[in-house]
Amino acid sequence: MAEVFIYPATSLILSDLVARFGHKPLGTALSIRERVQTAGLDSPPLQMTPDDAKKGLRWAAVEVPSGVRGRMSLFGPLLDRAEAAIIVNNPDFAFGCMGCARTDELVEFLVKQKEIPVLELDYPADEEEGIIFVRKVRDFLKGLAGAA
Amino acid sequence: MKEILPPLYAGTVTKYVFVESYKATPDDIAARGYEVSGGVMIKETCFGLQVTGPEEEVERVVAHIRALDPAHIYVKDRGFPPGDPRRCRANLGGARPGYFGHEYEMGFIRRIAVGIEKLDDSSEPAAEKTKKKGSDGLCVERLMELIDQEA
Amino acid sequence: MTGETVRIAQLSCGPEYSGVQKEIYTAAEAVGAEVFFPDLSLADIRRNFKDFGLDVRSGDLKLAIARAVALVQGVAEADGVFIASCFRCAEAAIVRNELRRYIHEHSRLPVVSYSFTERTTSGTLLTRMEALTTIARRRALLARERQTGLTMGVDSGSSTTKAVIMQDNEIIGTGWRPTTEVLQSADDVIVLALEEAGVKREDLDAIGTTGYGRFLIGEHAKADLIQEELTVNSKGAVFLADCQHGSSTVIDIGGMDNKAISVLDGIPGTFTMGGICAGASGRFLEMTAKRLGVDITELGPLAMKGMGEDVPMNSYCIVFGTQSLVNALAEGHSKEDVAAAACHSVAEQVFEQQLQEIDIKEPVVMVGGTSLIQGLVRAMGNLLQTEIVVPHHSQYIGSVGAALLASGYVEKN
Repeated sequence: MAEVFIYPATSLILSDLVARFGHKPLGTALSIRERVQTAGLDSPPLQMTPDDAKKGLRWAAVEVPSGVRGRMSLFGPLLDRAEAAIIVNNPDFAFGCMGCARTDELVEFLVKQKEIPVLELDYPADEEEGIIFVRKVRDFLKGLAGAA
Repeated sequence: MKEILPPLYAGTVTKYVFVESYKATPDDIAARGYEVSGGVMIKETCFGLQVTGPEEEVERVVAHIRALDPAHIYVKDRGFPPGDPRRCRANLGGARPGYFGHEYEMGFIRRIAVGIEKLDDSSEPAAEKTKKKGSDGLCVERLMELIDQEA
Repeated sequence: MTGETVRIAQLSCGPEYSGVQKEIYTAAEAVGAEVFFPDLSLADIRRNFKDFGLDVRSGDLKLAIARAVALVQGVAEADGVFIASCFRCAEAAIVRNELRRYIHEHSRLPVVSYSFTERTTSGTLLTRMEALTTIARRRALLARERQTGLTMGVDSGSSTTKAVIMQDNEIIGTGWRPTTEVLQSADDVIVLALEEAGVKREDLDAIGTTGYGRFLIGEHAKADLIQEELTVNSKGAVFLADCQHGSSTVIDIGGMDNKAISVLDGIPGTFTMGGICAGASGRFLEMTAKRLGVDITELGPLAMKGMGEDVPMNSYCIVFGTQSLVNALAEGHSKEDVAAAACHSVAEQVFEQQLQEIDIKEPVVMVGGTSLIQGLVRAMGNLLQTEIVVPHHSQYIGSVGAALLASGYVEKN
C-alpha cells in the first residue's frame, strides 16, 4: 500500500478511488483530524493556531501571507509522506483547505519537485471521459510499489 | 464558543459515505451499516452517512456498506467527528466550506460511476479520448447541469 | 452592552488557517455579537460570483464574493459585515476593497474590513466589532442631531484626555490634559471643564465616555453612555462641521492609531482604524517638534512656511522617519522645510495605507489634536485635492460626540 497525495486534497472522488484501489489517500482531512484530536488546543473551528502559520515557514517565507503558511502546515507533512500523487488540474470550485489559489500553486509545484510518480488529470466532462479518468487512476495506482 | 472542547472521540477516525444510487438510499445504506456496526457509530445525513470508530472497524463497516452498490457508494476521510459544534451548520450560520466541494464533485459523480462500472479486468492502458474540434453547441450534460442550477 | 445579539456576517479568506478565527469570535462575543457565514448553495455561489464579475482564482474569495452579493440582495440577512483577509495578499486585498465598496454603495449595512496576520488578537478587533454593533443597536441614538440638557463627554485617548460640557447645543466648558494615569487624567479634565462651564458635577443630566479608557472612566463616572470612538467621533465631527446630512469623510490622525471613516447621515458606513506604524501617527509629529526644538503647537505654522518637496521623508516607521529628519537637518535643510516634509510624510502614509480602504466623499473633515497642525491639514488637502474642513473644537471631537449622544439619556434620567 502506497501513500498517495491527492489534489484537490479535499476531493471525495480522488480519496475514494485511491482507497478503492488499495492505497492510502493523503488529504487534508488527516491533518485536520490530528489537530481536532489534540488535547489542550483552543482555537476553533479547525484547532489551528498562530503556531501553524509559523510552522509553515518551512515551506513559505515570512512575507508570504499567514493563510498560505497556515495551510502549508496542513499540506507540508502530507507532501513529506507522499510516495505518489494524483493531481486534478484546475479544480474549479474548491474551498476551505483548497480555498487559497496561492497555496494551491505552491503545493502543486512542490509535488512536482518531489521525485515521485505523479498522475495529472482533468475532471471528466462527460461519461466517456469518466471511463478514461477511472482507468487512468486505476492503472497509475496498479503501477505503484505495494499495489495489491 | 466559550468552553474548551476536549477532543471528542480521540483515537477514532470518521469517514463520510456518500450515496448516489437508484438502488440504495441513505436509509438503506444506514441499515446495511447497522448490520455489522458493532461499536462503530453511524450517523445518517442527507447525502449518506458518517461512520466513526477505530480505523479498522470503520474500514470493515464501510467495505460492507460499499458492497451494496460499489459503483455508487463513495468514501472519504473527515477531519471532524459528526456533530462537532465547531463545524455544525447551525452554529456557523452556513455550510462549512468543504460541503460545497462535495456538492461540486457529487454534481458529476455519475461520470465516475460509469467509469467504475466499465472497468474491466483487461490491463490495456486507458485510451485517450480524441478531443472534438471546436464545438457546435452546448453538450447535453452541460445543458442538464444548467437546468439543475436554475431549478 | 445590552440588547439583542447583533449578527455580523463574515466574508473572509484565511483566518481559520492563520489561527485567528477564534480571535474574531472572541471580539464579537465581547460586544454581544455573533459572527456567522451566510448560507448559500453551490449554484448560488456560481451565479453570484459570475454576476459580480471579479474573476479571482481563490475558492474562498469566490465564496466571499458570493456571500456579499447574497447580503446586498437581502437573500442573507445581517446587521453588519466583517471582511477579513490575509495581510500581504494582493488577490484578497482587491476583493476586500471591492466588496467593501460594493456593500457600502448597495446597502445600508455597516462594513469593516481588516487584513490580519497570525499575530492579530481579539483586542485589536474589539473596537471595530463594537462599532459594528453600535451602528446596528443604536441607529436611533446616532441619528440625534441636537444636544439637549446639560451633559458631559469625556474622551480618554492614548495621548490626551479631553472633557467637554455642553448645554442646549452649545459647548460651555472644555478641559484637556496629556494622558498619564487614566482615571486621574480624566478627573483633572472634568474639573477643568466644570470650572470653565461654571456648573457642578451633580448638575449634569448625563455623561458619555469614549476612547481607550472609556470603560474604566465610564464605570468610575457612572456614565450613561460608554461608546467606542469610531461612531462617537463621526457624530462629533459632522455635528461640529455642520454636515449632519449626506456624505462626508472623517479623518482622525491620533497619537496611537488613525481613523478614517466614511460617513452617511452622521453614521459610519465603512471605516478603518490603526494598522500603520508610528511614522504615520501624531507621535511622529511630536518627535519632529521635539527634534526641531519647537512646541508641537508651533509645528503647524512652521510647516506652513516651508517647502517639503525637497526633503526626502517618506516612511511609515518612526525610526526611519526620524533618521530622514536627522539627515535632512544635517544636509542643511531649514526647520520650516523639515517640518513641512514631516507633515507631508504622515499625510502620505495615511493616504496610501488607510484612505484607500474607504470612499472619500466631500466634505473631508479632519479632527483630533493633529488637525490643529495646519501643515498636516494642508498636506492632506493637497493629496486629496480638496479643501479640508477643520471645525472649531476639532481636538475635542470625541468629547463633543459623547456629550451630544449622552443627551439621548437626559429624559430617561
